[in-house]
Amino acid sequence: MSTSIEKAKASKVKVAFFDFSSCEGCQIELTNLGEEVFTGLLQHLEFVEFREVMTETAKGPIDIAFIEGAFTREADRKRLEDIRARSKTVISFGACASTGGITALKNHMSDYSQCVYGVNSGAPHLASQKSEPISAAIKVDYAIHGCPMDKDEFVYIVSHLLHGKEPVIPNHPVCVECKMRETVCRYSYGHHCMGLVARAGCGAPCPADGIPCEACRGFIEHPNEESLTKVMNERGRMTSERAKNKSRMFTATLRGDAK
Amino acid sequence: MGHQCKSTIENLFMPEEAEIVRAEFMTPAEKHFTLRLKSGKAMVFEPGQMLEVSLFGFGEIPIGFASSPTRKGTFDIVVRSVGRVSSALNRLEKGDSLWVRAPLGKGFDLEKMRGRDVLVVAGGIGLCPTRSLINYILDRRSEFGKFTLFFGTKTPKDQLFREDLAQWRISKNVEFHETVDRADENWKGNVGVITTLFKNTTISPDTVAVICGPPVMYKFVIRDLDRIGIARDRIFVDLERRMKCGVGKCGHCQMNDLYVCMDGPVFPYSKVQDREEAFG
Amino acid sequence: MPVLVQLNCDIRIIKFIYLMLKRPLTSAARGTAMSVYFLKESDLTFFLGRLLASSPVIAPVAKKSKFVFAELGSAAELRLDYDVTLLPPKTAFFPVKQKLLDFGPDGPKSAITPRKQVLFGVHFYDIKGIDMLDQLFAEGHRDNNYLANREATTVVGSSIQKVSSRAFFSTVGTDVQPRGHDAFLTHVTAGYVFETRTPKGEALISFGSFEKATAAQIEEAAGVNAAVLKRCPEKLEHSSELIAVKVRNAFANEELWTDLAKDCFSCGSCNIVCPTCYCFDVQDRWNLDQVSGTRHRTWDACLTNDFSKVSLGAGGSENFRERRGQRFRHRMMRKAAYLNEKLGGPACVGCGRCSAGCVPDIADPVRIINRIVGGRHGSSV
Repeated sequence: MSTSIEKAKASKVKVAFFDFSSCEGCQIELTNLGEEVFTGLLQHLEFVEFREVMTETAKGPIDIAFIEGAFTREADRKRLEDIRARSKTVISFGACASTGGITALKNHMSDYSQCVYGVNSGAPHLASQKSEPISAAIKVDYAIHGCPMDKDEFVYIVSHLLHGKEPVIPNHPVCVECKMRETVCRYSYGHHCMGLVARAGCGAPCPADGIPCEACRGFIEHPNEESLTKVMNERGRMTSERAKNKSRMFTATLRGDAK
Repeated sequence: MGHQCKSTIENLFMPEEAEIVRAEFMTPAEKHFTLRLKSGKAMVFEPGQMLEVSLFGFGEIPIGFASSPTRKGTFDIVVRSVGRVSSALNRLEKGDSLWVRAPLGKGFDLEKMRGRDVLVVAGGIGLCPTRSLINYILDRRSEFGKFTLFFGTKTPKDQLFREDLAQWRISKNVEFHETVDRADENWKGNVGVITTLFKNTTISPDTVAVICGPPVMYKFVIRDLDRIGIARDRIFVDLERRMKCGVGKCGHCQMNDLYVCMDGPVFPYSKVQDREEAFG
Repeated sequence: MPVLVQLNCDIRIIKFIYLMLKRPLTSAARGTAMSVYFLKESDLTFFLGRLLASSPVIAPVAKKSKFVFAELGSAAELRLDYDVTLLPPKTAFFPVKQKLLDFGPDGPKSAITPRKQVLFGVHFYDIKGIDMLDQLFAEGHRDNNYLANREATTVVGSSIQKVSSRAFFSTVGTDVQPRGHDAFLTHVTAGYVFETRTPKGEALISFGSFEKATAAQIEEAAGVNAAVLKRCPEKLEHSSELIAVKVRNAFANEELWTDLAKDCFSCGSCNIVCPTCYCFDVQDRWNLDQVSGTRHRTWDACLTNDFSKVSLGAGGSENFRERRGQRFRHRMMRKAAYLNEKLGGPACVGCGRCSAGCVPDIADPVRIINRIVGGRHGSSV
């Protein structure tokens, strides 16, 4: 006869975290959830693999797999396919996994390896190809955007999944959230900002701290790229060339000129 | 509305609990629910009006009444799994509760129909809100003239309310015509789009017509009604869609200057024919 | 009497009667001044301090180089010399995110919890915005989630000391007078003329060292409020009636709207900062226990891509205003035409927030309308 605690444990949703080309900052960000939220989640979730906090690794079936990092090596495909085969739901976790993120900047450069690794650039473990989102290798059900991912949104999305509800992911730009919290627009200082085309959902913390939005959550659907170059040039005091390149930081795989 | 509200101030977003007394999938995506207010009070509404149906945590969606107010005690809705709320609702079974705010919107203009011939043209799930009117007419048959019903679906599998259809096929109280776009091996009836049914009957120019179905259907049905000579203020269209708050505030259902949830969902065609946003 | 003059007279009378009729009954008491007082410049801080001790006071304060309405911590934070705030003061009754109800195993519980508060220092154009929301939330189904907060609030207007760079409040909806305030404060040479308009406004008198205003002070205040109208940097050049007709008639001019919206980001900033916008989205959220939770509404913006999108199942969807130009047009129709009959004038108060908040600077109603209607700043289309 099983105790009620065992029953509860048996019905908990099995969650695992995996990382690919990334800084693992999104997993670290989870440790900032705070004790109350974390223990609250543990009432409903059972972590079966989470390299940042535990040594066990999952071999069996997984309910929700969170995959951090970009797909940059063909050699990773097999591991990704294995995760997919064992997981009911796969979620790309953070900017690198969802859009390629910062790692995709190299797609537009030929000498990045030399620049970054210098004399060691030829080491075999540093070899990689074009950086792509995880969805380039396997089917991804949902994306948690952001660099790092937003921890409140993580809880919100997990809550949806626990109830079998499709997560609500905003498709409006960061401007909406800046205006809502009465942040003085970067453009009114003569600065640039990508918030005009960047997917909201983060609560727009960067412009509120005086930092322009870098679109770490990727683009909204139908971003007006032409108009963006124009305002960054005319109101953000950038040269046209700089304005064009500027928007690449987190959106290299999303732009009209994606490689 | 708002009986659960402990505050003395009425909250128009406060729903009432309704118990599911019957729940049955009519197709893999469409589920027919028969409901009763938990408070024991009767649901007072008119054919064509709507409800906001909700499940806490999932949200709220607008749905037309699928039953006639002449049939007391319970009321019906049909939920089609298309989004977060509807998919969650369709996991509910008999004995479960859901939450409703109703009645909302303007229903069919029954005064305009009384004493006249009535034609209802329903495509697909357009049969659900029009069923509130169809059964109303059947229950008060003597108040109306000739009653004709067209029902079309893509395939025979998509047909809804099969028990009703079986009755209507043999009823003397309604001239029932049905069609499918694509037949299967068992289908013996008409094949073709819904307007191909016009050739099987005679509709008088004095008829009041009601249309509810997918957006593409309206244009073609109206072309035939024009040909017959039915005045456009006697053609009613049910444009039940994209509502959120249901009470004329949130702005989501607005098409040009009209609010579907306040001015409709039933409109005389003459009122919406020039509104570009009405038919997408 | 010549027929023409007679006719003109009749039209004026009809218009007057119409204007009187469309005033909501609830604000009948707000029509005329009750009493006019004077407060010395040096006594304002004392008055506000006492007011603050009795209830929260929401008033303009500085935020970096701009201004916002916020709850005052002390009287010293008040900035009556503000030009315009980033968001309109509607936030005091209709916050960006508002809880509608709590839910849990025992069912739902209403979240209407009004608190008594004073909204202080509102410019007349924003009072007009509040009037419009009062009417729109009360018509048809009464939305007490807004109205209860509204009724618990005492609104004190303020004369405009500085005019913002995009304002055009002197030439928009000139037939529509501000009504929804309980008192009005005008800055004059020696202090403030304080006009009470409702018993709620009159009740404020006990908090300060008010004296009866002199005829000269009242006259000076009237002059101050009249003079500010001449200082608007932007101007509409036609009547609201003509603008409404012309804008409506331009509906089918697809080329115009596509061109106007060419640089539009669909970012919704023009909606969010607007004092007369009130669209919202409703969402549920579970608490950490995954059993209880809240249903809340959040401001929404019809310029954003997903505003008029509906799900059709199987991942499909339909968007009723799919193109940028269609959404851009919808906003102008709402501001200049659709609501005019209901409101007695356009759903715009000339604050200029949308013009200032639009990064590509294409949202300015003055430029759009002057282009459509024709005028010094643009050719007729």
